[in-house]
Amino acid sequence: MSWREALDRARRTGGRRYWRSLGELLDRPDFRRALADEFPALATEPLDWERRDILRCLGAALALSGLAGCEARPDEQAMPYVRQPEDLVPGRMRGYATAFTFAGYAQPVIGMTNVGRPTKIEGNPDHPASRGTTDAFTQASLLDLYDPDRATGILQGDRPTSWEEFDRLLATRSALHDATQGQGFALLSGAVSSPTLLRQIAALQARWPKARWYADEVDLRDGRAAATRVAFGRSLDRLPLLDAAHATVVFDDDPLGPGPGMTWNSLGWSQRRRAFQKGDGASALFVAEPSPTLTGGRADGRLMASPSRIPALVAALAAIFGLPDVERPALLCPERQWIEAAAKALAAAKGRGLVLVGGGQPPEIQALGLAIDERLGNLTVTSRFVEPVRATPAGDGSLDALVAEMTAGEISTLLVLDANPVQMPGQASFASALSKVELSIHAGLHRDETARMCRWHVPLAHDYESWSDGRAVDGSPIIVQPLVRPFFGVRGRHALLAGLLGAPGTDDRAIVRETWRGLTDEAWRQALVTGSAGPAATAVAPGAVRRGALPPPAQAGGLELLVRPDPTLWDGRFANNPWNQERPKPFTTLTWDNAVHIAPALAVTRGLETGDVVRLSRGGGWLEGPVVVLPGQAPEVVLLHLGSGRRTGAVADGVGFDALTPIGMGPLTIERTGARRLLALTQQHHAIDGRDLVRETHANDRQGSRPAHVEPSFYEPGSRTKPNWGMSIDLDLCTGCGACVSACIAENNIPMVGREQVAKGREMHWLRVDQYQEGPAETPRFHNQPVPCMHCENAPCEMGCPVNASVHSPEGLNLQVYNRCIGTRTCSSYCPYKVRRFNWYDFTSDAAESVQAQRNPNVTVRARGVMEKCTYCIQRISSARIDAKLAGRAIRDGDVKTACQQVCPTGAISFGDITDEAAEVVRRKRSPRDYTLLPEANTRPRTSYLARIRRPEDDA
Amino acid sequence: MAQIFRPAADFWLRLLVLGALLALVGSLVAAAGYADSSYATRRGWVRDQPVPFSHAHHVGGLGLDCRYCHTTVESSAHAGLPSTQICMTCHSQEWTKAPMLAPVRRSWTTGQPLIWNRVAKLPDYVYFNHAIHIGRGVPCTTCHGRVDRMPLMMRAKPFEMNFCVDCHRDPLSKLVPAGRITDPEPMKWSSTEQHRFAAEAANDLRIDPARLDKCDICHR
Repeated sequence: MSWREALDRARRTGGRRYWRSLGELLDRPDFRRALADEFPALATEPLDWERRDILRCLGAALALSGLAGCEARPDEQAMPYVRQPEDLVPGRMRGYATAFTFAGYAQPVIGMTNVGRPTKIEGNPDHPASRGTTDAFTQASLLDLYDPDRATGILQGDRPTSWEEFDRLLATRSALHDATQGQGFALLSGAVSSPTLLRQIAALQARWPKARWYADEVDLRDGRAAATRVAFGRSLDRLPLLDAAHATVVFDDDPLGPGPGMTWNSLGWSQRRRAFQKGDGASALFVAEPSPTLTGGRADGRLMASPSRIPALVAALAAIFGLPDVERPALLCPERQWIEAAAKALAAAKGRGLVLVGGGQPPEIQALGLAIDERLGNLTVTSRFVEPVRATPAGDGSLDALVAEMTAGEISTLLVLDANPVQMPGQASFASALSKVELSIHAGLHRDETARMCRWHVPLAHDYESWSDGRAVDGSPIIVQPLVRPFFGVRGRHALLAGLLGAPGTDDRAIVRETWRGLTDEAWRQALVTGSAGPAATAVAPGAVRRGALPPPAQAGGLELLVRPDPTLWDGRFANNPWNQERPKPFTTLTWDNAVHIAPALAVTRGLETGDVVRLSRGGGWLEGPVVVLPGQAPEVVLLHLGSGRRTGAVADGVGFDALTPIGMGPLTIERTGARRLLALTQQHHAIDGRDLVRETHANDRQGSRPAHVEPSFYEPGSRTKPNWGMSIDLDLCTGCGACVSACIAENNIPMVGREQVAKGREMHWLRVDQYQEGPAETPRFHNQPVPCMHCENAPCEMGCPVNASVHSPEGLNLQVYNRCIGTRTCSSYCPYKVRRFNWYDFTSDAAESVQAQRNPNVTVRARGVMEKCTYCIQRISSARIDAKLAGRAIRDGDVKTACQQVCPTGAISFGDITDEAAEVVRRKRSPRDYTLLPEANTRPRTSYLARIRRPEDDA
Repeated sequence: MAQIFRPAADFWLRLLVLGALLALVGSLVAAAGYADSSYATRRGWVRDQPVPFSHAHHVGGLGLDCRYCHTTVESSAHAGLPSTQICMTCHSQEWTKAPMLAPVRRSWTTGQPLIWNRVAKLPDYVYFNHAIHIGRGVPCTTCHGRVDRMPLMMRAKPFEMNFCVDCHRDPLSKLVPAGRITDPEPMKWSSTEQHRFAAEAANDLRIDPARLDKCDICHR
C-alpha cells in the first residue's frame, strides 16, 4: 500500500488527519508493536542466565538485604569561606549578566551561580535580543564549561609543556616577525564581533603590517554579505523585524531555525503572531524550501522546492509585482498556486510584508528579493539594515585564501584562535597545507581535529570563565564577565593575543576595560549589572536596491546535495555535549547520529527505508551513512548535516559520519550497501494511538471565551488551596525548536542515557516535543507539541502506585516521592500520556566530578530504579513560596516561571496560579482554543493546550 | 524398612521452626532498635573537629547570639558556617597565642578554609530551609538542642522524618515570637502567653497544618 493510498483510505473512513510517522500512516507492524507495548521502555534484556549467575545473584541479594537497613551516609565536611564576600548568601542563587558567543554573536545571558558554581544559564530579561529567553544551544553551553574532555594543558605535539615555555616561544617568534614586519604571520579565527579582539587584531596589524587575519565561519560563508554588496554597493547586515511583518515570504531560508539569530527572530515572529491572535492584523507565512525547517513547519503555505528552483520562484514573485526586466518563468502547477497565494498575502500587507531569500542562493537572486521588498515599500519597515555586526578581514579573509597562501609556503606562523578549520566544509587540503607551516599554534577549548595537526596546542578559557566582550545580533555591545574562575590553567583569548603583542600575563579584565575606557567606572559597573554596554546598532538607510544581472537558471536534473549545519550540533562545535546529542532533531527526532535525509518519493523509487545504509558518491569521492526518510523534503534533494563524525572527545567520537568526506563534482549517485543501522529515533516512543492530540481551529474562532465544562467523576473533588498550579501551551506559537527540552535538562538534573538506551525508548527527558504530520506523505503540514507531565487532577498514576510514592499535593501537583519509590513502574503503565521516565540504570553516580558540579543543588539527583517525571519545577515553586511568605505577601503572577516557560523564545508556555483570575494562564485557559489531551479519560489535566490557528483558505 | 526419622526428629523440627521464628522477630526488633538508637541517628555523638570549638563557652558563657556567627540563618536555606574572618574578629585580639586556635590563624594567613565535620545533616532528598523556620518562629533549640551546654558539638535530635513531621503536624504550640528564637530556653514563658501568640500566629502568618505535612514541603 502506498502512502497516497493509505491516506486516501484514512480520509474515506473518517480516520485521523494527523500522523506521527510513516510507519503509522501505513499502519506498519512495527508501529503496531511500538504502540501495543504499553510502555515500550519495558523491553527487557533476553534472559541468558547460568547457574552461577543465579547463585551470584542470590548471594548479592542476601548481602544487600542486610545492608538495606543502614543507609550509608558518608561523613560530610563543610568548608566555610575564609573571607565571605559581603553580599554573598550561601543557598541563594546569584545572577551575573554576561554573554555566550555563538558564531561571533554574543547571546545575552544571565549566568546563575550557586556559591560560585554556575548551574544554569538564563536569558537576559533586560536585553532586547533575549528578553529572558535563549535558544537550546545557549542552554547547553553551560555543560561545555564542565566538559571533562576540555583541554587543560599546553601541548607541543604530544609533549605536555608549560605556559612559561609557550611565552618564550611567543617572545622569540614575535622578535622574528618584528624584523619582517609580520611577513608570514597569519591569524585564523571564527567570526568576530568582540570590540576588544578587533582592537587587538588592529594593534597586531599596526605592529606587523604584513601580518594577515583570516576569519571563517559556516554562516559567514553564505552569500548574504555578497547580496547587500550587489544591492547597495556595500556589506550590510539585514536584521529581519518579524514583529512588523504581517506577511512573510521565505525562500530557502530559516529565520526561526537554529542559528545565532534564532532567538531574535522567534521573539519578533511570536510578537506579531500574538497580535494576530488578538485580531490585530495578519501573520501570514509562506515558505518555499527544499527540506523541512522550523520556519517551514510554521508556514501557512509551504512549498517543496529544490534549491535550483528557488531563483525561478523569486523571479515569478518579482514578475507578479511588475518589477522591470524580470521574465515570468514557467512554473509547475503547485508552484504557481503557492506563488499566487504568497503574492496575495504580500499585496494585502503592502508596506508591512517581508521577503527573505536564503544566503545559499546567488547574491543576485537575494538582491531581487530585496527589490521586491523595496517595490512594496517594505524594505526599511520590516528589515533593519546595520553596519555588519561581525567584522571581516580586509581583503579575502576566507579559509580558501589562507590555504592557498599556506600551500604556497607564504605562512611561517599560524595562530588558530578558537576555530576548527579542518572541520569546515571543503577544506580537504588544509591538512596538507598545514605541513608547510613552520609553526602552527591552536588555541581552543578542546584538543580537536585541528589541534591534533598543529604543532602547539594551548587551552582557552570558556566564555563563562573569561573577560571579553561581543555584540548581540542587534549590534548592541555586551561585556562578557566570568561566572567562575577558570577550573584549569587556561588563558582567555585576549591574554593570549596580548602575549603575542609582547605583554604576556596581562589579565583579560584590564584588556577589556582598556577597550571600554570611554565608560566611566560607574557606567562600566552599570554595564556589568545590566549586561548591556551600549545601544543597538543604528539603522542605516541602505539606499536604492540595485540588481545585478540574474544568473542563468541552473540546470535541474539529477540529485542535488545539500550540506547544512546540524540543528542540534551546528557545525560540530556543540558535538561533545550530550545535551545536544540527545536532544531529538526537529522533524526526524534523530538522536546521537546524523543521516542521509531523502524524500519519501526517492525512497520508494530506490527501495530505501529509514535505517538503510547508503553510499553517496560523486566524482570519485564517496561517503556512507544511514538513510532517514523525511516527509516534506523535495524528491531530488539529498540533505546531510555537518557536525558529526568528529574526533574531539568521548561524547562526539564515533557519532555519525563526517559529511565533509571529500565529494567531487559531477552527478550524485545513491546506492544501498545492504547494511542497516539501528537509529535512535524517538518518533514512535510514547506514541498514543487513534486520537487527535494536536488540534487546529479557524482564525475566526480565536477570540471569545469557552464555557467551563466539567465532566462528572466518581472521585471526590480535591480541595483547592491558593495557589493552585496549571500550565497552558500555545501550539500556535510553538516552533518546536527544543529550547524547552534543553532548559529542562539543565534545570532538573536530567541524565543523558546514550544512543543504545534511546533506541530502546529509555530517554529521560521530562519534556518531549512530539512531531505530527498532516496530509500526504510527500507534502505534509507539520505540527509539534511539547508534552510535559499533565499534572492530572484525577491522576491515574496516583491510583496505581502500591507504595504511595505518587501523591497529589493540595496545590494541584502530582508529586513523585523518590525515596518511597520501589520501581514497580505501575504508575507509568497507568499514565495515558506516557510522560513518566524510569531510571533503568544508575546514570548519575559515575558522572565525572566536573559534570556533577553543574547539577542544580535544589533538585534531587535520582538513583537507579526510581520513577521520575516533570515536577512543574517544584523547586522554583518552593523558593517562590518561601520568599513570598518571608516578605509577608501572596505569590504573584510571574513569581514562578518554570524552566521551559522561561526559556521559550516565542512565549508558547504559560504557567501560573489557576485560582488567580488575573493570571495570564487563566486568561489563556479561558480561550475557545483551549483543550486538553484525551479529555475522554477524564483525568482533568492541569496542562492544557491552545489549538493552532489555521487560515480558512487552507482548508480546501 | 527402618524408619528414617526417629521420634525425636519431630521435636527438633518444632524447635527449629520456633527458633527461626524467634530469630526473625528478634532481628526485626534489633533492626528497629538499631534504627532508633543513638548509634544510627548519631544523637549525642561528638565528632572530631579541627578546632575544639565550645558552644558552651561562646553561647552559654559569653552569651553570643547564634546569628553572630550563623549569619544567613534568617535569609537563606543554609544557616551558614562562620567564615574564618568571623573567628578572627575576636581572636585577633583574644587568645592570639593559644595553640588550640592555630588552625584558625593558619587559615587566616594561608587563605585555606577550615574544614569542619558536619554535625547537623539531613539526607540529600530533604530540602530544609532555615530562613522560613526562623521567620515563622521555630526556636533554634527545637532542632539543635541546648548548644549552650555542649562543650563539643553534637547532634541533639535524631533528625528522622517523624521528628520533622511531629512538629509540622502541630506547629503552633512550638512557635515563639522573634525575640525568643535564639534564646537558650525559648519555651520558658507562660502557657497563656504561648496560647495567645499561637492564635495570633495562625492568623497572621497563615500557617496551615494541613498543608505542612505534605510531601512537597520537604521533598522535591
